[in-house]
Amino acid sequence: MDLLGRIFVKPFQDMAAAPDFLIQVVWEGLVSGTLYALIALGFVLIYKSSRIFNFAQGIMVVFAALTLVGLHQMGVPALLALPMTLVVMFFLAVAIERLVLRPLVNQPDIILFMATIGITLFLIGFGETIFGGETKRMITRELYIPAGSTIFEPFGGFVAIEHLDLTALVAAILLVTSLLVFLNKTRIGRAIRALGDDHQAALSVGISLSMIWVVVWFIAGIIALVTGIAWGARAGVSFALEIIALKALPVLLLGGLESVAGAIIGGLAIGVLEKLFEIYWGQPLMGGGTETWFAFVFALIVLLFRPQGLFGERIIERV
Amino acid sequence: MKRLMKAAVATTAILAAAAFTAPHLLAQDSLYVPNLSYRTGPFAATGTPLMNGQKDYMTLLNERDGGINGVRIDYDECETGYNTERGMECYEATRANAVVTQPWSTGITLQVLPRTNVDQIPVLAPGYGFSPMADGRTFKWAFNPPSSYWDGASMLLNFVADGDLSSLEGKKIALLHLDAPYGREPIPLLEDYAREYGFTLLPIPVAVTEMQNQSAQWLQIRRESPDFVFMWGWGAMNAGAITEAVRTRYPMDQFFGIWWSGHDGDLAQAGEAASGYRAVSWNVPVPDAPIMGEIREHVIDAGLSSIGENEIDWVFYQRGITMSMMLAEAIRTAQEEFDETVVSPEQVRWGLENLDISEERLEELGMSGMIVPFQTSCANHTGHGGGWIIEWNGERFERVSDHLQADRDRITPLEEAEAAKYAEANAPWPMNDECEL
Repeated sequence: MDLLGRIFVKPFQDMAAAPDFLIQVVWEGLVSGTLYALIALGFVLIYKSSRIFNFAQGIMVVFAALTLVGLHQMGVPALLALPMTLVVMFFLAVAIERLVLRPLVNQPDIILFMATIGITLFLIGFGETIFGGETKRMITRELYIPAGSTIFEPFGGFVAIEHLDLTALVAAILLVTSLLVFLNKTRIGRAIRALGDDHQAALSVGISLSMIWVVVWFIAGIIALVTGIAWGARAGVSFALEIIALKALPVLLLGGLESVAGAIIGGLAIGVLEKLFEIYWGQPLMGGGTETWFAFVFALIVLLFRPQGLFGERIIERV
Repeated sequence: MKRLMKAAVATTAILAAAAFTAPHLLAQDSLYVPNLSYRTGPFAATGTPLMNGQKDYMTLLNERDGGINGVRIDYDECETGYNTERGMECYEATRANAVVTQPWSTGITLQVLPRTNVDQIPVLAPGYGFSPMADGRTFKWAFNPPSSYWDGASMLLNFVADGDLSSLEGKKIALLHLDAPYGREPIPLLEDYAREYGFTLLPIPVAVTEMQNQSAQWLQIRRESPDFVFMWGWGAMNAGAITEAVRTRYPMDQFFGIWWSGHDGDLAQAGEAASGYRAVSWNVPVPDAPIMGEIREHVIDAGLSSIGENEIDWVFYQRGITMSMMLAEAIRTAQEEFDETVVSPEQVRWGLENLDISEERLEELGMSGMIVPFQTSCANHTGHGGGWIIEWNGERFERVSDHLQADRDRITPLEEAEAAKYAEANAPWPMNDECEL
């Protein structure tokens, strides 16, 4: 009976007793969720246009952030290092298309997936050779990203909103909005969607597969850079950032591999729910550490009812 | 004729293969010292300066002295990425000619430990590994000088209690730890202390995937308001925790780390905001130590080091140097005892068991003040040299305490009990009956 009370009553009592803390938990969840959504978005874009599950998305985050910081360390002003990093990410996209993807056109999906593992290993070695393995400080101040925090005092308590987190949230909203406009209102965007819908049909009307692949890998590179800046600002830029890509997997399971909206809503939902669960159930009842599995279990439960994910396409194949 | 040609080709191939075989397989006048290092992966930022220090000290001995007593050190790294499976592969790949193995993670150490009695290669795990390895009667082949994690936990408790542990009654101490064998290592001892002295221990695990995003853990710290936070962090977890502590406004003077959480590279992320953060450490950087001048001259200026800019006075770089010094001293001790220059693993084991890193010896080595003095013995494989508290001043770590010692009266029985438990779980486990109490 006591256990039932601790599961079904106590957490809600705690929430009601300290609503300011609840707001802080939800805010932190939203920030984490935004960053998960950004990583997932990189996966979705590439999968949508090429049916490739891009294992290299995590290392692209590291590589983009390292390039930015590395260029600055080499004496390039921060505001110039930013566009230069974008140029590097563009050439990376071109190189991946020319050297890895183009020779593998028409190969089974698993071959392309394995190729992205190869890209990951190459970028790890290449990145460490060029920039070294030590943790680097993200150049937030030099990029004029506001530091500090704003304190609110609702319900007699306090809620701290870090300006860095707020900036990450605003940047993510702008990025996603631009992406949606790009995908829906431009010729290239429509071509990406067409490729996602039907490769053969898209090719038959003259859409250039290689050009679209370069574009989507470049967009994934831009997303990786924004993600790298946001995460790197929290704990420095190191190869450990690669691990955060793992957090996108349950988001993809939940939102569906092909849905931009799914990646965003899935990311936010997992970010907030895993934080609430960890704080109000995980830590008091299980000693904490539930964030490692909660998102997967949650996604699994959703998949039981919607095997294609919340926003994924239901695939019907004729036998 | 064809047969003759085939034989000639085969002979050439064999000779060519032999010529390209690693020198340590052929050389008779060198000692093969493998290091299961990690310069890549999520823990590279903390591993790299340590490996640099280890490598540079061995390079110094080779360049300046031609090795140890005329025998060159064949220092070799095998990359594990701090991954236990890869660590075991490295162990297998390097053990054949090794006079020692340096597993470099508590997880790998725990895997290697049961093999030591069979393979008969000493395991050197300075300041890490399984704390009961101190018991030389049970762990004949394993060494973790100069202080164990339990020593570290005891020193931290005594420091925050100002020597009076009863003052901790009613207080709350959070243990923010990596959710790995290393991070869980101090829990049994701290629980024992908590029961005895009436404080609350709150273990807060941080999974590897959460190292860079510890908001949940720091929300818990905000809710629980512990009197002190002890950190057993590694890799990106350290920088993540320091950043979150600053964001949460947790008082830095109540935040302490074990020696692996006292890394300049991690603290530099928060810079001035992390001023006041302290860690217990068995080494401190001494920029003007004579040995540092020698390393600068013979290794760094000669272009033989991989050290990064401004890293020479980092706690971790100089710790790497002291680690290799321990091994070099063990080899030297063994050479003198057995009157042989190319010593065997068994002889190096004896050397590790008879290390006497006294103040005088440190002075001779040009390393005064860089590491706590300690002495190992057959029964005591740690040496229990104690440590110092170091504090981050916004730019670098400084020593801020006198020499601290662990509460050995409390730790020794626990070590013996845990060692006995380990031996029982791995029975039949050979004990070293030669050791005297």
